[in-house]
Amino acid sequence: MALPLPPGLVPSEVAFLCEMEHVTIVPRQRLESIELLSGATPSLRPPRREDIPLWLALLLKKQRRANILPPPWLHVDSLRDLIHHETVTDPTGWSLPPPPPVRADGRGNARRLNSGGPDATVLSPPFLPSCTSSAPAGALPYHWFEFAEMLLAHASDDIPAASDVRSLLRDLQEVRAAKMRTSIAGLESGVDGVMSLLGVGAMELSESRGFVTGVVEGVRKLGASAEASRREEEEERGGADDDEPSDDDMGI
Amino acid sequence: MDIDDILREVDPTVSGVPNETSDLQSLTRLWVAERSAPELLEWPSGGLFERINDRIKAQIEKIEILTGDMDPKTNFALIVIQTELERYKFLVRSYLRARIAKIDKHTLHYLSSEELRNRLSETELAYATRHQALLHNHYLSSFLSSFPTQLQNLNDTAGNVSMIDSPDLDAAVFIRMLRDRQVTGQGTDADITLNASNGEILILRWSSAKSIVEDGDAELV
Repeated sequence: MALPLPPGLVPSEVAFLCEMEHVTIVPRQRLESIELLSGATPSLRPPRREDIPLWLALLLKKQRRANILPPPWLHVDSLRDLIHHETVTDPTGWSLPPPPPVRADGRGNARRLNSGGPDATVLSPPFLPSCTSSAPAGALPYHWFEFAEMLLAHASDDIPAASDVRSLLRDLQEVRAAKMRTSIAGLESGVDGVMSLLGVGAMELSESRGFVTGVVEGVRKLGASAEASRREEEEERGGADDDEPSDDDMGI
Repeated sequence: MDIDDILREVDPTVSGVPNETSDLQSLTRLWVAERSAPELLEWPSGGLFERINDRIKAQIEKIEILTGDMDPKTNFALIVIQTELERYKFLVRSYLRARIAKIDKHTLHYLSSEELRNRLSETELAYATRHQALLHNHYLSSFLSSFPTQLQNLNDTAGNVSMIDSPDLDAAVFIRMLRDRQVTGQGTDADITLNASNGEILILRWSSAKSIVEDGDAELV
């Protein structure tokens, strides 16, 4: 077998992706810029803060060459707000992901940093600055769970009130896991074409991927004949009327 | 760094993504997509892999030079460079292995039409053709030759049943929107269209998602 893994990223691969997230550090030693394949690292001069990839930050942390600055959403107050939002304000949906990064131009307008030209590569997690110290508080980025776990495991002394953070994260994870299960139970009433999981995290997706796809596949196979007859009926009822809107959508 | 670099950094009209980052983003996206999609995806055009391979080669040469002088100061930089190289190589390797696994599983399917063959890179095509030829020869010598001639084919499509196994294109996939747009998905009970915003995660069939992903408006996760 060339690759003995199931389709879809497994948790260890998600963790690997998460290690590409950028994080803010406060260096404790000077370190010249290093030419890496993913671009040169900033040259580190204490106590100037710099953003570097998480894997490098953890390496520097282990050798006590730097301290990691936890992102604002990992603070106790932010986590309490998030739990309040998840349990009281909106008990059905997940809390919203952080807004796309914007930058102000000289005329005082904010533009999306990431809209890009026609051929520019659009950045997405883990390449968005969602775990640096400039990230917004009160919004969980895509890799929140793995990121928080890794920081707690390797740099818990850099996180203020680490034990509180740990227990709040546990609560948050349980609340959100329950929502994932409810959203699957919602499939009982019928499967639409598209299901939206706005605000879900990478690890949450990875751990329930097998179950969710299994349910969706199973329902599809059970309903295959009903679906085929429905499509036939729709075509008979007025082929032209029904086809037009879907053709339009394809053109967008 | 001179004054031009500094000005470019603060100029909001220039997209500030350096080449290396966008290549790494592209490679990561390709890898995740290949790991999640039920069928083999297009081999990237535009010289991305040549660029990446050249850079990896250059980096290995640099490591060889650096290991020559064992100065404790450059030593740490060497560790960092090697760690990063291993991470990069893992991405490339895992991507290629995911592709080979798919080719192995449905070899005849991917060799069956010009359009599908074009998705393979040159080396992958050579591998698939040779592998299939070896397999066919082996089958012939071990049991197929004792069958009647009309039953010896491995790609028979007689009687509306194709012998060629093909991937299930209606399998459910997860995608993340990269731009705001409308998404139409076919479902068992209803086909619906909804407005999806940037960053939203959707579950839908690969057959519905494919065109959106190919337009670059969404990526597989």
